[in-house]
Amino acid sequence: MSAIIRCRGVEMTYRQGINLVRAVRGVDLDIESGDFATLSGPSGSGKTTLLSLIGGLDRPTAGEIQVDGEDITGLSADALADLRRSKIGFVFQTYSLAPVLSAEENVEFTLRLLGRPRAERRERAREVLAEVGLAGLEDRRPGQLSGGQQQRVAVARALAPRPAIVLADEPTANLDSTNAEELIALMARLNQTSGATFLIATHDARVIAHARRRIEMTDGRISADVRVEGPGAT
Amino acid sequence: MIETLPLLWTLAWRNLWRNPRRTGITLAVVATGIWSILIFNVMIQAVADSGKEESLRLLTGEVQIHAPGFLDDPNIDHRFTAPDRSLLAALNGPGVAAWAPRVRTPAVIESEYRTRAITLLGVSPGPERGVSDLPGQILRGRYLGGPGDPAIVIGADLARRLETRVGKRVIIMAQGADGRMAEAGFKVVGLFGNTRPAQDAFVFTGLAPARTMLGMGASLSEISLDVAHGADPARVAGALRAAAPGLDIQPWMTLSPLAFELESVSKTYVGVWLAIMFVLMAIGIVNTQLMAVFERTREFGLSRALGLRSGMIVLQVSLESAMLVGLGVVAGLVLALAVLGFVGPDVDLGAFAGGAAMAGIGEVLHPRLDAALTVACCLIVWVLGILAALWPAAAAARASPAAAMRAA
Repeated sequence: MSAIIRCRGVEMTYRQGINLVRAVRGVDLDIESGDFATLSGPSGSGKTTLLSLIGGLDRPTAGEIQVDGEDITGLSADALADLRRSKIGFVFQTYSLAPVLSAEENVEFTLRLLGRPRAERRERAREVLAEVGLAGLEDRRPGQLSGGQQQRVAVARALAPRPAIVLADEPTANLDSTNAEELIALMARLNQTSGATFLIATHDARVIAHARRRIEMTDGRISADVRVEGPGAT
Repeated sequence: MIETLPLLWTLAWRNLWRNPRRTGITLAVVATGIWSILIFNVMIQAVADSGKEESLRLLTGEVQIHAPGFLDDPNIDHRFTAPDRSLLAALNGPGVAAWAPRVRTPAVIESEYRTRAITLLGVSPGPERGVSDLPGQILRGRYLGGPGDPAIVIGADLARRLETRVGKRVIIMAQGADGRMAEAGFKVVGLFGNTRPAQDAFVFTGLAPARTMLGMGASLSEISLDVAHGADPARVAGALRAAAPGLDIQPWMTLSPLAFELESVSKTYVGVWLAIMFVLMAIGIVNTQLMAVFERTREFGLSRALGLRSGMIVLQVSLESAMLVGLGVVAGLVLALAVLGFVGPDVDLGAFAGGAAMAGIGEVLHPRLDAALTVACCLIVWVLGILAALWPAAAAARASPAAAMRAA
């Protein structure tokens, strides 16, 4: 399979008070299209920072990152926004939904940014909400949904534009075990059905257990990279 | 861009009501500001209009024609011959609504008991009604019947001082055209009521008897005129000067500088008040929007992470401000209209008549909302409000998507 994400010599240093923090140190990484991979490691290991760099939310201080064959390290802020809109879906640790929009409107958010027609937006939003098990709750606002349901809306929003890549940062961190299990199973199933590449930063063993590729980071470096045969290898 | 607008509109409108109390306070500030600007403007304008009306409709008119030197020394020597064809054509042209010829000279009036210095005016009652309100302010008796009426009309206050009344005779003395003292007896047929200074100063008789007494032939001391609706008095005066280059022709701004200054100052006051109120409103708007933006920094970062360009974030926050200030402006306008509707078209200052007279304004003010000025004030506040909120909008656009992710 071809690499949809390619990192070469990626470094990220930022200032924290008077100290310089080297969050990512010379990372070389290829993620194949359609993969379901986890980035794990202790807090401060650099996994969230690496995810931000791959998603174009931040720029590396050195090295090169290619997404779907395009070098994104030199892109402007607006070009990065366009890239994220068209190719990358994000799922964040907290539910990160617009509180003033309904579940359906939240899912439609990126579709609207992409200029999709109203009928197509509505149909796709309902389709993907049904896919994550939220049929019938389309008109509810985030405040009227449980944490697990909100995270499902966030997953639906990430998948609605059919992105090539889904980047998730600790998606189960705020969920109870039942909701966490359901979400993991859902993401694994969507990886199979949609063909999107999933890269998940997590230290949740249940998530890691579902991954076909398990990448570990320690002190900003990749310390282990293990491929497991078959999904849900546990 | 266009496709995103409905989304931004929805977000802006719903975000506006996430904190109803804060939004309500800002709306109240903007509404009160607009209300005060409009009401202040209306009342100041009404006072200025009243002052101008009182001044011009007493005798001045909007333009006056004299012989050179009359304004510096208004005596019989500075007179001019009746208007020639060229001046008549200009006076009867489209720029002039009404004009009245006058004889005007300093004189002395004497009753059986008292003597007072006055200004004698020989007038034609018909034309005079077109340029002056005095003929309509008769308290007792009647006004002059025609330009040949040999009777006299004096102020009620002057009558009291002279200890005379309607039906009694008085003597008028003044310098004649030949340089010698001229005098004639007149019967008082009417008393007019106006401001006390006017009642004390002016005495009216027919144009013909005044000319006869003073030996002026067909000469005049003054022509007073009102310009047509919408015409500029200064331009009309200029056109009349071209028609009568030998005469001294001045618009009311020169003849009545106090009224002119009152009008100019009123506009300055309104401008200053608008600036003060806008600064106060801007502080409220910027404060509200900054708080709203800082509370939602993470949301803006997330929106950017999802692909919303920074320009779209600026647009979203600006839309919120436009809605907030726009609603406040509409509320302020409605409030101002309600207050003016409650007050009515006339504000009676009868209880303060003495003070009003001293200030040179009438007893009744006519507050009216000038449509063009109202629209201009509302638009200025609305646009400046949006511009003031560009600062919070720019702060929102700087929200880092990476920081939002780290905070998540």
